[in-house]
Amino acid sequence: MTMILAVMYREYRIRTTSMTWLFYDLFMPLTYLLLFGIGLDRAFDTGLSVGETTVRYNAFFLSGVITMACFGIAINTSYGFFVDRDNGIFFEFLTYPMTRSEFLIGKILFNCVLSLLQALLTVLLGVLLLSIPLLWNRLPLVLAGVVAGTAGWFFFLTTFALRIRRNDMFNTFINVAYFVLMFASSLFYPTEQLPAWLRAVAAFNPMTWQTDFLRFATIGSGNGGVVFAEAAAFLIFLLISFGAAVRTLHRGILR
Amino acid sequence: MSLPENAIEVHDLVKVYRPRSGAPVTALDGLNVNVRRGEIFGLLGRNGAGKTTLLRILTTLMPPTSGSVTVLGRDIEREGLEIRRNMCVVLQENAVELFLSVEDNLSTYARFHAIPPDQIRGRADRVTERFGLSEYRRQKVIDLSGGLKRRVQVAKVFMVEKPLVFLDEPTTGMDPINKRATLDAIREQALAGGTIFLTTHILEEAEELCDTIAIVDKGKLLALGDLPTIKSLIPSALDISITFELLTDEILADLRRLPFLTFSRKRNTIDACIRSDDLSLFQTLARLAQSQRVLHFEVRSATLEDVFLELLSGPPSPDRPDRGRIS
Repeated sequence: MTMILAVMYREYRIRTTSMTWLFYDLFMPLTYLLLFGIGLDRAFDTGLSVGETTVRYNAFFLSGVITMACFGIAINTSYGFFVDRDNGIFFEFLTYPMTRSEFLIGKILFNCVLSLLQALLTVLLGVLLLSIPLLWNRLPLVLAGVVAGTAGWFFFLTTFALRIRRNDMFNTFINVAYFVLMFASSLFYPTEQLPAWLRAVAAFNPMTWQTDFLRFATIGSGNGGVVFAEAAAFLIFLLISFGAAVRTLHRGILR
Repeated sequence: MSLPENAIEVHDLVKVYRPRSGAPVTALDGLNVNVRRGEIFGLLGRNGAGKTTLLRILTTLMPPTSGSVTVLGRDIEREGLEIRRNMCVVLQENAVELFLSVEDNLSTYARFHAIPPDQIRGRADRVTERFGLSEYRRQKVIDLSGGLKRRVQVAKVFMVEKPLVFLDEPTTGMDPINKRATLDAIREQALAGGTIFLTTHILEEAEELCDTIAIVDKGKLLALGDLPTIKSLIPSALDISITFELLTDEILADLRRLPFLTFSRKRNTIDACIRSDDLSLFQTLARLAQSQRVLHFEVRSATLEDVFLELLSGPPSPDRPDRGRIS
C-alpha cells in the first residue's frame, strides 16, 4: 500500500505543477459538451430516437463525453511513459522496491480520482446548464463506469506505450485507435441506425460497451440485460488489458 | 535480513539480444563475478563491453538468457522485489523528475523507499547541503544545468541507507568539487558497511575508490582483482615523462624506434609507457642527453589506465584467457 501511495503522491506532485494540465483534465469534457453538444442538440431539435424513446442530443451525448474523457485521461497517463522514458526516470522506477502491478495500480488510482472529479463536474454542470434529466439514483453506476473505463483504457494503451519505442508511432497509433473506436461506436449516435457492417463493428467495440453502460446509468436508455452483458464484457477487457500491461512491464521492455 | 558473504554472485552469465532484424548479439558470454559484501567494486570496460547489460540484470531490469545470478543471497529472477527492497540505483541516464523541484525529487524518492514522512525533511537538508544543492532546493529540475541534474540524481541515493548501491558512471558531468563530494559520500557509504557496485570510464576514480576491479570486454571477463593484482598483469610497466630543451626530429625518430606500450608528444615533452625490463630507453636516453639537454625526467609505476589500455589492445582469444583473481 505504501508503494501505491508513493506512486499516487508522485502523480499528484507532477500534475499540480501545471495548472493548464489540470484545467484541461478537469474541464475538457464539459467544454466538449457545451460546444459540440449544444451545436448538435440544436441540429436535432426534435430529439434523437433511441430504441423506443426520444431524447435530447445533450442528454444522449453526456455518456459519450464521459467515455471520451476517460479515454483522454488514459491517453495522457500512458503517454507519460514516453515522457518518463525520455527523462530517463522510467527505468529507475523499475528498480524501486515495488511490484510492477503496484506501479500500474498507483498510476491508475490517481487518474481514476481525477476521472471521478471530472465526471462529477461534467454531470453537475450538464444538469445545471443544459437541463439534462439525470437519474440521480444511478449516480454510483456512473462513477463505477468511470473508474472501470479509465482503468480499462489506461491498461489497454499502456501495453502499446511500453511496446512502441517511438513517440511519433505511438501518436499515430493513438490517433487511428481513437478515430476508429470513437466513430465505430455508440458514442456520437445510436448504433441502431448504422449500416449492418458498422453496427457489427460497434457491437464488439469496448467504447460502445462503456458508453452504453454510462447512458443507461445517466438517462436510463438501453436494455438492462444487454447493458450489463456489455459491462461484463468491458470488465473482461479491463482484466485482459491489465494482465497484458503487467506482462509487458515484466518482460521485454529493455530488449 | 541476514546477508551472505558475497553481495553478488554471478555464474556463467549469458545474455543474448535477439533483434527483430539481424543476427543475435551476445552481450554477456559466460561471465563469472563475485562481489564481496562491504566492498567497492568497480566494473570497467569500453563502450559495448557488456557493463550496462550486467548492471541491468543485477538491478532486476532484465532477465538473463542463462546462468545464475544472486544478489544479497536472492535469486534475481524469482526474488526481484526482495532484492529491490535492499538496493538503490543511479542509472546512466539523467533519471530525475524534470517538472518537480529539487526538494520534491528528494522527497518523492524517499517515499518510494519507505522513509517515514517526518524524517524526509531532515534527510533532504543534509543531502542538499552535502551536494551543494541548498540554493536550488525550490527550483524545478528542468531549469538546472546538466551537471546539477546529475547531482540531484546522485543525491537521491543518499536519502536512504541500503546495503547495496549501484552507480552507473555517477560523476559524469560533475565539476571537480562535486565529484569529490560524491566520491567521499560513496566511500562513507562503504565504510558504513554498504556494498557499492560502480561502473565508470574515469579510471582514476576506480583506482582511487575500488577495492576490487573487474575489466570486461565483449561480454567476457578480462581481469579481476584488487588494484595491485590488476596492475601486476602488466608486471613491469612504467610511465615516463621526458622534457627536452628542444625536441628535434632526430631525437623523435630515435625514440619512436623504442618498443613503447603507449606514446604521446606535447611540444618538447614525451609521455610514454614502457616495460621496465626493457633497458633500451635508458641507454637511448643517456645517448640523447649528450646532444640535447633534458629539462625534466620522471618515472612512475603504471596507472590503471595503462593496464586497461594494454588489456584491451587486442580481442580476447583462447590464447589470451581471463586474467587475475577469479573468485
